[in-house]
Amino acid sequence: MNRATLTLLALLLLCALSLVAAQQRARQLFIAQERAQIEERKLNQEWLRLEYEQRNLSKSARIRSIARNQLHMAPISPERTLYIKEAP
Amino acid sequence: MRTVGFSTTPNLVLRLPMWRSRLMLFLLFFVFMLLLLRAFWIQGPGNAFYEAKGVRGTQRELELPASRGKILDRNGQVIATSLEAKSVIAYNDTVPDDLAADKVKKLAGLLQISEAELRKKLKDDRKQVFLKRQVDPEIALQIKQLEIPGIGLNNEYRRFYPEGEAMAHVVGFTNVEDKGQEGMELSRERELAAHPGQRRVVIDRLGRVVEDIAIEQLPQNGKDLQLSIDSKIQYLAYNAVKSAVEQHHAKAGGAVVLDTQTGEILALANYPSYNPNDRRNLSGEQLRNRVLTDTFEPGSTMKPLTISIALEKGVVKPNTNMVIGAKYLVGPKPITDSHPFANLTVSQVIQKSSNIGTAKIALNNLSAEEMWDFYTSVGLGQAPKIGFPGAVAGTVHPFKKWVPTDQARIAFGYGISASLFQVARAYTIFARDGELIPLTIERSPGVKNGTQVLSAKTAIEMREMMETVTETGGTAVKAQTEGYRVGGKTGTAHKLVGKGYGNSYRAYFAGLAPISAPRIVVAVMIDEPTGGSHYGGDVAAPVFSTIVGETLRALNVAPDTRPNLMALDDKSPTEVRTANVQTQHVVLKR
Repeated sequence: MNRATLTLLALLLLCALSLVAAQQRARQLFIAQERAQIEERKLNQEWLRLEYEQRNLSKSARIRSIARNQLHMAPISPERTLYIKEAP
Repeated sequence: MRTVGFSTTPNLVLRLPMWRSRLMLFLLFFVFMLLLLRAFWIQGPGNAFYEAKGVRGTQRELELPASRGKILDRNGQVIATSLEAKSVIAYNDTVPDDLAADKVKKLAGLLQISEAELRKKLKDDRKQVFLKRQVDPEIALQIKQLEIPGIGLNNEYRRFYPEGEAMAHVVGFTNVEDKGQEGMELSRERELAAHPGQRRVVIDRLGRVVEDIAIEQLPQNGKDLQLSIDSKIQYLAYNAVKSAVEQHHAKAGGAVVLDTQTGEILALANYPSYNPNDRRNLSGEQLRNRVLTDTFEPGSTMKPLTISIALEKGVVKPNTNMVIGAKYLVGPKPITDSHPFANLTVSQVIQKSSNIGTAKIALNNLSAEEMWDFYTSVGLGQAPKIGFPGAVAGTVHPFKKWVPTDQARIAFGYGISASLFQVARAYTIFARDGELIPLTIERSPGVKNGTQVLSAKTAIEMREMMETVTETGGTAVKAQTEGYRVGGKTGTAHKLVGKGYGNSYRAYFAGLAPISAPRIVVAVMIDEPTGGSHYGGDVAAPVFSTIVGETLRALNVAPDTRPNLMALDDKSPTEVRTANVQTQHVVLKR
């Protein structure tokens, strides 16, 4: 009788402790997930920003002015173009 | 000494009435009952209030952010995107009154407002004041580092438009609340809009999130929208219009480029324009999408449509000879040509843009009803259904009201009104061998089928007549494009000022290219050119030529006038390489 009570008490204590531990672990995981989600959002934003930046760098106006002024290129003219037809 | 025993004190002899103790008992019992009832009430039915209080202390509603959809061009290039920004808010009951002067100065500097203005905002009676919206994240971080109590940052989005002015009228813009205000941003608001979600969380004593309770609403990002516009063609069309407007000191200009295979709008340019990234001091003039929302008398660009009806009926042929003369009297005012001709063939009526010739063909061979039917069947008088805000219908008056003067003048484009877009759309029938195809501003690959409104024979005949317009002797030699056969029709319309015609003009050119297998329809309008010529052939035709040449090259369309087309099957690659030393670029077709 006495022994059984003690065993049960010990079990109860163990259960209680493991509950606390589980709770703690759940919170830690939750915090980690939260951080990961924030990170994901940040990276997403970063990607959008980079996409925008790339777009800004590849604007027609910019390409045109660099090609003309820095690289001294000229627009394609049919005069200087050889057109090749693929064999049927 | 007389003693009185305690038990014999006379006071005790007094007998108290029974009801007093009963009353006391009852009162005590009653008060306890009240307390019990109250306790029961708080625990049971009346506990919502306390529960709410408890929840408020430990739970929070958090917003799950969602971003507005991107707008892309036909090649997937971004033309509108939302990036994160912050709004700076002052909670004025928390901001200390004796805020250090240097902090105020720093904050004002970061917000780019004057110190006095900032102080005024901080003294505002309202609890919350937006100090500035849509602040860059880097600046927001610096503001946070100032650690001023009561200054908070909120997440929001800011819309960016990398193409700027060139694309402004097509894309439109959003307001600070991220709601579409103009253009596609407005008309597709429903698909583009973001729907932020909400979740409920448990917070600890310090306000940190420790547990998720429930996601009450999932966040929904806006859908991306892909337009049919090609940024490259749009840019070059915008530039061509802009430089023509500047060169001719004109008031405004517009151009539209259509793909005749798919019915897609490749470019839709307007000048003057505005920068959608910076919308301060916007005027209505800048915002107007002239191509779609301005109607005008189409003038001579109507002639190919009118003469097509006669060709279709078989009453005239391209080589039918006509007597023209210097004047043609219909109604009170005689019809004249800018250059008088004695005789012209029907084809030359188009080439030389003869008002008299067109009026004679219409009055002698066509009924008002036939003309009205045809104009309506090519979309005049009806707003084009392309899902763009403010696209106008123009007017084609009912034919029953036409008197002969009306009929003659409508035949060459006066007394009728249309937008440049409608004119371009009507011209697709010549490019598509008589078919009118539905147009769209959204990406939609694949050849479209339309409704046949003209026979292929008439369409091809008219195409050839329109090509003569750009040949020597035509009204638009300047429309000629290197490498490609082009055709079209000039238009120079007197602008209506009040009730009569003033001294200002609109110059147009609408046409198609390449003639051998039309791929694009281009229409150009320059409003009120001054200084020099105001004729469509001088002002609008060169713009057409620039746009056609560059667009066809951008689309990789093989030229149809060059003799140096080589077939790879009868020349080896080495031969090809050495065949023409001047050759610098090689374009492969298919």
